[in-house]
Amino acid sequence: MKSFAVLAIAITIGALHKAVALPARGEEGTPRGFADEKTGNEKTGDDVAQAIAVIARIGPQAESSREARQARDRLAQRGPDVIPKLLDAMDTTNVVAANWYRTAYDEIVASELSRPQPRLPIEALRAYAADSDRQGRVRRSVVRLLDRLEPGFAAAFVPTRLDDPEFRSDAVEAALAVGSEAEASGDRDEAIDQFRRAFEHARDAEQVTQAAAKLTALGEQADITAHLGLVTDWYVLGPFDASAYSGFAAVFPPEERIDLHANYTGKEGKAIGWSRHAASDALGQLNLVQCIAPVKEAVGYAYSELHAPREMEAQLRCGADDNCTVWLNGERVFGREQWLNGTRFDRFVVPVRLREGNNRLLVKVCQGPQHKDPEVANNWSLQLRFCDATGVGVGLVSALPATAKEASP
Amino acid sequence: MTTHCWRRLPKPVLALAAFAVLLFSGRAHAENWPGWRGADRTGVSDELGLPVAWSEDQGVLWKTALPGSGISNPIVWDDRVFVTSSDGRDQDELHLICLSRDDGGEQWHLRLWGSAPTLYHPTKSNMASPSPVTDGEHVFAFFGSGDVVCADFGGGLVWQRSLANEYGAFENRFAASSSPLLYHDLLLLQCDHYGPSYLLALDKRTGANRWKSDRPDVWLSWSSPQLMPPAPQRDAVAQPPAGGKRSRAATEKTVVAADRAEEELLVCGSHRLDAYNPSTGEKLWTVGGMSRECVPTPVFGHGLIFATTGPNGQTICIRPGGRGDVSASHVVWSNIRGTPFVPSPILVGDYLYLVDDKGVGTCLDATNGRMVWRKRLGGAFTASPVAGDGKLYFCDETGKTTVIEAETKKYRELARNQLDEPIFASPAISQRRLFVRTSGHLYCIGAAP
Repeated sequence: MKSFAVLAIAITIGALHKAVALPARGEEGTPRGFADEKTGNEKTGDDVAQAIAVIARIGPQAESSREARQARDRLAQRGPDVIPKLLDAMDTTNVVAANWYRTAYDEIVASELSRPQPRLPIEALRAYAADSDRQGRVRRSVVRLLDRLEPGFAAAFVPTRLDDPEFRSDAVEAALAVGSEAEASGDRDEAIDQFRRAFEHARDAEQVTQAAAKLTALGEQADITAHLGLVTDWYVLGPFDASAYSGFAAVFPPEERIDLHANYTGKEGKAIGWSRHAASDALGQLNLVQCIAPVKEAVGYAYSELHAPREMEAQLRCGADDNCTVWLNGERVFGREQWLNGTRFDRFVVPVRLREGNNRLLVKVCQGPQHKDPEVANNWSLQLRFCDATGVGVGLVSALPATAKEASP
Repeated sequence: MTTHCWRRLPKPVLALAAFAVLLFSGRAHAENWPGWRGADRTGVSDELGLPVAWSEDQGVLWKTALPGSGISNPIVWDDRVFVTSSDGRDQDELHLICLSRDDGGEQWHLRLWGSAPTLYHPTKSNMASPSPVTDGEHVFAFFGSGDVVCADFGGGLVWQRSLANEYGAFENRFAASSSPLLYHDLLLLQCDHYGPSYLLALDKRTGANRWKSDRPDVWLSWSSPQLMPPAPQRDAVAQPPAGGKRSRAATEKTVVAADRAEEELLVCGSHRLDAYNPSTGEKLWTVGGMSRECVPTPVFGHGLIFATTGPNGQTICIRPGGRGDVSASHVVWSNIRGTPFVPSPILVGDYLYLVDDKGVGTCLDATNGRMVWRKRLGGAFTASPVAGDGKLYFCDETGKTTVIEAETKKYRELARNQLDEPIFASPAISQRRLFVRTSGHLYCIGAAP
């Protein structure tokens, strides 16, 4: 199995090498458009640039669509010479403009593929596929085209893209598949190696869980909590009384001051206080029905302290049922009033700045009325994590005091 | 000078000639299926000679593989069939495809990137859940990624909009499924989701806004808007003639609502059915009693509206018209039996047919809401039933279509037809053929031309 990976890497490195070492102008296979521009056909280049610029200006409400259509038609008539320019143009966050370019690109490619000898800029396409700074959606289309032109290209290219934002999950899937094959054939070391690679590079929760399960089954360690940056250690308080959907706007004492050894009057006049709980599942879900009570029309709070090794930018990713509001170091950083939601992983993503040392985290989770359908479970839960932009944990560790009485307000 | 020589003929001769053409040519024209659930979005066709029995080996005129997946219904206009689908890691690869009606061959294929794909259901809904719609010159497609596309019949992109970029990404746990509606020169869209919801009317020629009506107090809905014809009028629902004879009793019922000279745009979601002026987006009236999350599209007939939401919801018959909350004054009847979560109801003559998600069919008397019969029709259901030629077609998720006789007081099954793949999309009826979309193919079923 190692040989497969080595071969795949070798092929990809070869492809990258070829991509970097584009043939000199005028060599066989060089797109004519390159040559045209360098031989001074500025009118051709100007027209292409102008058409591309017209499409780039397409605005909201489909403004300038008529002009975009005319520009697109001009680009499509240029044939394969214009493909590198179209690939550059498609590398935009403006999806509407990208689609206009794509219709010209697709038309040209389809026309060329119908020829016995398609005139397509293979090396430029390879370079584009390998450039992880380009828009992933365009690169994926290019890989599909290359795979059609050179069957087997994708199978060789994808497994090596473990750090590629566009192809990471495909590469992880390939590693999991290779690991499973190794496991089935009795090659335990190779299986562990592949599963470890999959785990370390996975950012998708399902893939992380899958790789961790594979490793655990082989007697290896895999810390999902640390890898994803899940917050799993909490003090929990509730239920406060909040009729109907009033809980989101209501303000209860923890929003004004955190005092982990204080007692409050909760729902139905009962005394409530903070108690410590761990997340109830592998992906950090905190079940408030279990931690607090199976109540309706209520508010609960979860509090944690997290130690950061340094000051840093990070992403707070969270989801809650019914909804959550988040304060970080006393600042409200997120709140979204919605009801009857499921706690979906990474549903909300919020950029935050973490302090070096302790960071105080307070989350308010509302529980609405019973669903009209009595069979619908009235879940009450929270899931939250801190990670980088790719989705891997940023190394925070719980700094909660061992007991509530040791906590500082 | 042969052109326009007919102008020199006397008018009585022209009239006689026209009558002769109609008399001897059978139907004046074959019916198209231009959008979600057909021409009037009720699932009912005027076509005759529709197929009853088929299988993989019998009655299939052609079968074409489709890329990706989607539950949008195919639409048919003359010799063209249009379908949408989506695929890719996040279902952000969008497809609008034109096939030949005659052999299923691909005429053109427009590939687009979706701007903001949402969560989706692995089988029941993805970015290609809304059905496209056509006016015979252009085809309009709306995708769950928040993209609206207009293409000409040659496959050329005319305009595209990213509603996600302009008004915020859709937040939807099963992808948006509301099908666009053409009203004169407007393309009407219902965009109800977890985030800011709204109705939108686009100029079908340019894609620009004609009106936008925010719906601040609603949330997720998968229902498609419906257009209620103006009153007074004869029953607007096409009545499939039983055995070729139109049901006189059903078609002659007329309900007059003098306060309704214009069409009303019906929108279900968030515990209610709202009616809007389709020309302006002005809200007209509302009726409560719907479920919080609505999927089925209301139907109409006999001057009444029939809306259903489930599970454990109710079917409501509403008299249109009025202003404000008309819940107390305009609900004609309601019934809690057999309400589906996903499949839309269908009205044929005096009978309203429902099939719930678990496959149990219910027939209600549309005049009073009383149950006529209940019967298991198959396995789980996502597709909405269609009707024509005195028959009702119910396609289940196992690939089985149960065909029953329409407009009879007793359940009478005509056939059970099995295909090899699950069916989640509602079928289309056009030109004596049934177009059935399975999880991987589009089937054209009918008698050979």
